[in-house]
Amino acid sequence: MLLFLIRSLEAAMIFTFAGLGELVDQRSGILNVGLEGIMLFGATLGFIAAKTTGNYLLGFLVGIGIGALLGLLHGFFSITLGVDQVVSGMGIWIFGFGMTTYIGNPHTGPLGLDKLATWFGVSPFFYLAVIMVVLVWFVLNKTGFGLKIRSVGERPSVAEVSGISVTRIRYMSVIFGGLMSGFAGAVYALYYNPVWNYNFLMGWGFISLALVFFSMWNPYILFGGAVLFGLLWQLALNPQMFFPGLASRYIWRMAPFIMTILVLVLISSKWFRSRWGATKPESLGQPYHKE
Amino acid sequence: MTLGGYQIRLQRRTNLPGWKAALISVLAVLFGLGLFSIIFLQAGQDPLEIYKQIFSYAFFNPYGRGLTINRFIFLALASFAFIIPMQAGLWNIGMPGQLYLGALAAFGVVYLFGGKSGELTASGAVVIPLMIIAAMIAGGLYGAIAGFLKGKWNVNEIVVTMMLNFIAFYLVAFMIKDGGPFMNLGGRGESFELPEAARAPMTGGYPITLWFVFILTAVLAALFSRMGLGYQIRAFGKSPMAARYAGVKPFFIAVLVFTLGGAIAGLAGYHYFGAVPGVFKIARTYGYFGDLSFYGVICGLISLGNPIASLVIALLFGGLSIGGRYAQGKLHLPFGVDFALMGMLMISLVAFQFFYNYQILITKKERRLDVAVSD
Repeated sequence: MLLFLIRSLEAAMIFTFAGLGELVDQRSGILNVGLEGIMLFGATLGFIAAKTTGNYLLGFLVGIGIGALLGLLHGFFSITLGVDQVVSGMGIWIFGFGMTTYIGNPHTGPLGLDKLATWFGVSPFFYLAVIMVVLVWFVLNKTGFGLKIRSVGERPSVAEVSGISVTRIRYMSVIFGGLMSGFAGAVYALYYNPVWNYNFLMGWGFISLALVFFSMWNPYILFGGAVLFGLLWQLALNPQMFFPGLASRYIWRMAPFIMTILVLVLISSKWFRSRWGATKPESLGQPYHKE
Repeated sequence: MTLGGYQIRLQRRTNLPGWKAALISVLAVLFGLGLFSIIFLQAGQDPLEIYKQIFSYAFFNPYGRGLTINRFIFLALASFAFIIPMQAGLWNIGMPGQLYLGALAAFGVVYLFGGKSGELTASGAVVIPLMIIAAMIAGGLYGAIAGFLKGKWNVNEIVVTMMLNFIAFYLVAFMIKDGGPFMNLGGRGESFELPEAARAPMTGGYPITLWFVFILTAVLAALFSRMGLGYQIRAFGKSPMAARYAGVKPFFIAVLVFTLGGAIAGLAGYHYFGAVPGVFKIARTYGYFGDLSFYGVICGLISLGNPIASLVIALLFGGLSIGGRYAQGKLHLPFGVDFALMGMLMISLVAFQFFYNYQILITKKERRLDVAVSD
């Protein structure tokens, strides 16, 4: 039971890392639907780096680095080139999916390193995730820099007039988003599930994306949602703990995906939108052209 | 920016003639192939030589050509499944899930006719059409879920279709593994084999699904260029708001495009698991075929939603991915060369999207004699 809770929190921390990056990204007005691809890249390259050198730190750094680069790429496409953000995000996802399938294949199998240490039973990354949640909330809501990010996401033309460089703020946000996704992928591959297999992320990037919509762009709600999904995910993996003999394990595996859809439906409903819908960044997904 | 007396500047396009759009697409594919050749360079091979081998295997070797045509049918259907919602401005990345459902429904029909034990209780002339119809209905209904949610509550269709993919993936696993109803009698974790009588007939050496592709191409081309319904779909894709004022019903359009797309994806599922010679079962690696359908996204985007253009692209990519597989075996490259190609083509395509919006103008700068005046 304790192990069940711990694993749930550890799944939650990965959703949180990826979701926080995407949240900041979207707050600045840039939608990146390709975080699954960035996470796959971070996971695969981080895994290969750690496995071949035996150095965990290097693995995480590679994950962060490739994540930041792909975030930059998405920024280049969607900010500088003005490509449709969904097209660019989908492109990064398929690019990540296709390339990591090929690159990672020779390294299929377990990582083969000693498991990373825990603090009080939980991975230290969990505490880092909590700190990051508070930090992101603080920066977004209590600092001038956060105000700049939010204003760029709401009314870029007004922000520009008041002396904020929309392009610069958006680039910083997408790079942060990419970096966090790459890191989340690396944590997944180096700690949570250290056995490489193609597409082994099982849609966690898309679930994190759904969590950002769920969070109404508030880091605390994002974290709550991440814990909820972590619990669900573990429940789906170990149904015999609570419901012995009920339904096949494959049926249980569907549970988190069904839940994701239900949650999305709930937050998309009119009832919900009319109460809390106003939190959506006004210019989310719209490219900004300086006139 | 000025370079050697020439001024280079960017200008937003107001309109894009068809031939220019086609040219951009061709350049994007060539650039993607250029990127892809890095893999051959890394293996110490001459890319041009390898490309020559890939093309001659995929299109001129009789065995390779058969594989290419089979994959072409699959990719063309996957592209159509993507294109129809795309014309309405919606993203269907649920082709894998829809085609799994299609395959399950087709096998369900055979199961009902006692085909699991090897003998059908009815003739193939009854069972095969039923399999095809069931596959299209199942795929269509599964697609309709995303369309319904989008139309009714504006639920993000990208996340929904992706989640539906995973749900369908595990549904297949449930049906064919661990003693599921479709598990083969030998106890292996794959489905029973289709009895001889339930296998799709061949015409001219290729499965009948090839004809479906041609018919659908004609139907879709007519739908989007000549019919009021196609016009409504496209108007909705261009501007949902304006279309709504013109009397287009968003809910109807969303459900319709996803149902049609899903039905065609279901047919793709029937094709790979019920009509391709030498398969005729839902193999353990069914996930591989599901993921291949993401090629449909690239075909659809490159062809700008034109069904006829996407046919050409699907043939090219079908050949390239089969030839890439051949090169993979020959050069001892890791598994997944066809997926690497998919990634390279996709990223190149996204970069070239830029040229749909902007053009580069190069004009000769007038020389001025700038004389420093210092008094």
